[in-house]
Amino acid sequence: MASTPGQIRPWRHLAAFVAIVAALYALVFFTGDGNPRPKLGIDLQGGTRVTLQPRTETGAEPPREQLLQAQQIIEQRVNGLGVGGAEVVVDGSNLTITVPGQEGDQARSLGQTAQLRFREVVGGPYAAQQQPQQQPQPGAPQPGAPPADPAAPPVDAGQAPPTGQPQGMGDAVERDVAPVAFSRPLQDPVPPPAPPPAPGPAAPADPRLAAEVDSARQMRQSSDPTVQETALLTLDCNARDPLRGYDDPTKPLVACNQDGTEKYILGPSFLEGTEIASAQAQANTTGVGWVVSLTFESLGAQTWGEYTTNNVGKLVAFTLDGEVVSAPRINQPIFGPTQIEGQFNQADAEQLAGVLRYGSLPLSFESSEAQTVSATLGLASLEAGMIAGAIGLALVFLYGLFYYRVLGILLILSLALSAAIVYPVLVLLGRWIGLTLDLAGVAGFILAIGITADSFIIFFERLKDEMRDGRTFRSAVPRGWVRARRTILSADAVSFLCSAVLYLLAIGQVKGFAFTLGLSTVLDLIVVFLVTHPLVALAAKSRVFSNPGLSGLGEAARTGAERRRVLAAASGRSKGA
Amino acid sequence: MAGVLNRLYTGTGAFDIVGRRRVWYAAFSVLVLICIGSIVFRGFNLGIDFTGGTQIQFPATTAAAPADVEAVRGVYERVIGHEPEAVQSAGSGGSASILIRSEALDASQLVPLKQALFDTFQPIGASGAPELAVISDSAVSGSWGGQITRQALIALGVFLVLVTIFLAFYFERSMALAALVALLHDVVVTAGIYSLIGFEVSPSTVIGLLTILGFSLYDTVVVFDKVKENTRGLLGLTRRTYAEAANLALNQTLIRSINTSLFAVLPVIALMVIGVGLLGVGTLADLALVQMVGIIAGALSSLFLATPILVDLKMRDPRFQQQAARVAARRAKAAGVTVDGAAADTDPDIADDAVLAGELRKERAMAAAAGVPARQARGGQHRGARPAGKVARPTGKRQR
Repeated sequence: MASTPGQIRPWRHLAAFVAIVAALYALVFFTGDGNPRPKLGIDLQGGTRVTLQPRTETGAEPPREQLLQAQQIIEQRVNGLGVGGAEVVVDGSNLTITVPGQEGDQARSLGQTAQLRFREVVGGPYAAQQQPQQQPQPGAPQPGAPPADPAAPPVDAGQAPPTGQPQGMGDAVERDVAPVAFSRPLQDPVPPPAPPPAPGPAAPADPRLAAEVDSARQMRQSSDPTVQETALLTLDCNARDPLRGYDDPTKPLVACNQDGTEKYILGPSFLEGTEIASAQAQANTTGVGWVVSLTFESLGAQTWGEYTTNNVGKLVAFTLDGEVVSAPRINQPIFGPTQIEGQFNQADAEQLAGVLRYGSLPLSFESSEAQTVSATLGLASLEAGMIAGAIGLALVFLYGLFYYRVLGILLILSLALSAAIVYPVLVLLGRWIGLTLDLAGVAGFILAIGITADSFIIFFERLKDEMRDGRTFRSAVPRGWVRARRTILSADAVSFLCSAVLYLLAIGQVKGFAFTLGLSTVLDLIVVFLVTHPLVALAAKSRVFSNPGLSGLGEAARTGAERRRVLAAASGRSKGA
Repeated sequence: MAGVLNRLYTGTGAFDIVGRRRVWYAAFSVLVLICIGSIVFRGFNLGIDFTGGTQIQFPATTAAAPADVEAVRGVYERVIGHEPEAVQSAGSGGSASILIRSEALDASQLVPLKQALFDTFQPIGASGAPELAVISDSAVSGSWGGQITRQALIALGVFLVLVTIFLAFYFERSMALAALVALLHDVVVTAGIYSLIGFEVSPSTVIGLLTILGFSLYDTVVVFDKVKENTRGLLGLTRRTYAEAANLALNQTLIRSINTSLFAVLPVIALMVIGVGLLGVGTLADLALVQMVGIIAGALSSLFLATPILVDLKMRDPRFQQQAARVAARRAKAAGVTVDGAAADTDPDIADDAVLAGELRKERAMAAAAGVPARQARGGQHRGARPAGKVARPTGKRQR
């Protein structure tokens, strides 16, 4: 044993720690946006959080891919709200929507299964080309063609120049053909048949939104052809659609398709999606590719049969929340099970089947928690958390000083440096993996104060053990460290295991709590190894710190001295004997 | 003053905790039975997350009418048509707020209600002016809490399995078992206290319960680490029994356990006082309360339950029973011989590999020299020789 285990070069460790801290703060200030604020959860800064719980018929876990699909769709809906910083994350089998700030109230309805309707295609599709500078130009592939003019060939996506090219980065509006827009449109508008009675139009509860919906209804749901035409011209398929989910089924509708590449003039809804009993994607038995087969409830089957009989060769549009999902052509009268054919691959077919089953979401969701926190309350919570943390730290400082006297300063230093390293990591993780600090996370950090302090305590009690055995402070440090290290490592391992399991398996706010707890545990190890131990090693060489009266180790040292004396006496006696 | 505190501080092994284990078992059994009984018969006071409903909260600082509980109740009744489940004021000072709880409201009820509350009270927000946005609300379906609980139970199961594996590898089977019993005790007692006192159970509470498991186990790990150290090579020695070694370990870590629990509970108390005082109810208060209860339960169980159980499990092993018998026999012998009072106090530092090996060699040598096949009984004769060997060691150390 050339070098005693536990013997270290303290300055080297401290330098390593300083380097780590410097690197972390450099990353905080010189990378990303340089904003040194951790990302706060909505319960600390105000905002809306909605947790959507999937409803499956059997109560089983929904397939992951459906969940991801739903996440994507809801993300689109959230973006449609036009609020910044909104997020949709998969949390266990739930989706959590968080919208910071005060604009998030509408987020509550995002998880609703969309309304699926069947509408007659009166005019369209017309290519949507609303790059602002081009919009007023007549001719060319424009949406200006009057809907009543059968001679005007529709400009469909297939003919539009940009189609087929890779999607542009910038303002390219025309995109690839919609995966579910499969039929070659046929321009054959006829007067709409009398719509069946439909449920009354819903209106949003928010008065401001209600007004918006009202004006959009007047414009785009008019039965006057000239108004429809104007609506068709002015409709911007890329803008947020106030009619989303609020279209009146009893009136005609000017709408875009889901990609925003085509516009349609649609008749009133003649059949509601609620009449669909089931929808499935199947391999096409008579041809290549995939088809979607659906069956209606009895009443729906009746309506569908009658409608298809009367409208063979025409287009029928499926709309979801006022957007056209697809507009296939009716090939023959259909009673009973219906097959929708098209150029589907399996994924497209399954998606469409899901849409037909549930509305646009592949799963049906229930809002299991919806919370709007005012900025005031969020601020108060943040303050309370901070104050609690500060008081907790102060109490620990005081107790540390009381119990460990001068060496308590090392404890305080360890805790302070621990805080100094937690902060940049929090900021960086907020940037890199979107870690948000929420109220539960604050509680996690406060609990972690105890864990960090404990590593120190374990080490110190070991030191005392060694000194009780008669060693000097100086010689007790390396031996005490070797033994304390093992205990600290195993105790932290258990603590980390607990937070890891919680993080991976739990949902909701548990995650934040578990993450901060686990994070603190790991950082605690860094601080103990690179700061606490070297500092104590340095202290062992210092006259002030190793003064038994000041170090709080006096009692143990006295016991050790006593023991040495007794041993010496005993040995003297036994030698004498 | 030098009495209890000093013994505690220096950890010289003066508290016979393991020896009185039957007392602890009885006490813990009563406690656990009461807790289980309360959970079964009284159940829990489940919060809004389990029952479902809507909660509205806004600052009590208002520009118009003072927002007292009765006035708020009146506004609610006027808009919704019936009484809310509860209206209370929470927190204090600038953070004081009014809390309304009701059955689940949909948007068509919530929006006018918020508007009416705003019109009547004009609550003032952070900006200093009344604004509608300061009214917070949360709507929870009754399944939310259940879902969190289900996930929490799954997490609990996985955690227990992993921890058992970890402990079995790191320690030994009986230690893993004892730690698990202590862990289960903590869960049951914490839940039981919630049921007994009628604290409201929220998802935060369930979360808090899980985190104290890690903490409780952490405590036990530290104690067992010392037990493991103190009992190394124990079977080859006749110095003390397993129970005595474990008790010594407990005493040596006693002040650490107390300190650790204190250090952990101090910030948590601060959290609770601030959480309740400033905000009234909420995540902070819920988490802090369950953790405080859990930390205390965890500290008690790691001291008074885990190690005694470990000792009982160990003593089922015949080897440890025989060793205990040898210790007893040796002591009986030694009692006849003149007792060297001072030397009796000194123990070989069996944590040290070199010393331990030396001690084991010595015991073997003694057994061989005495011509006894087993290393039994005659050890007492050589008692006088031992301290001499021991003295050589510290002297050597001091020279280093």
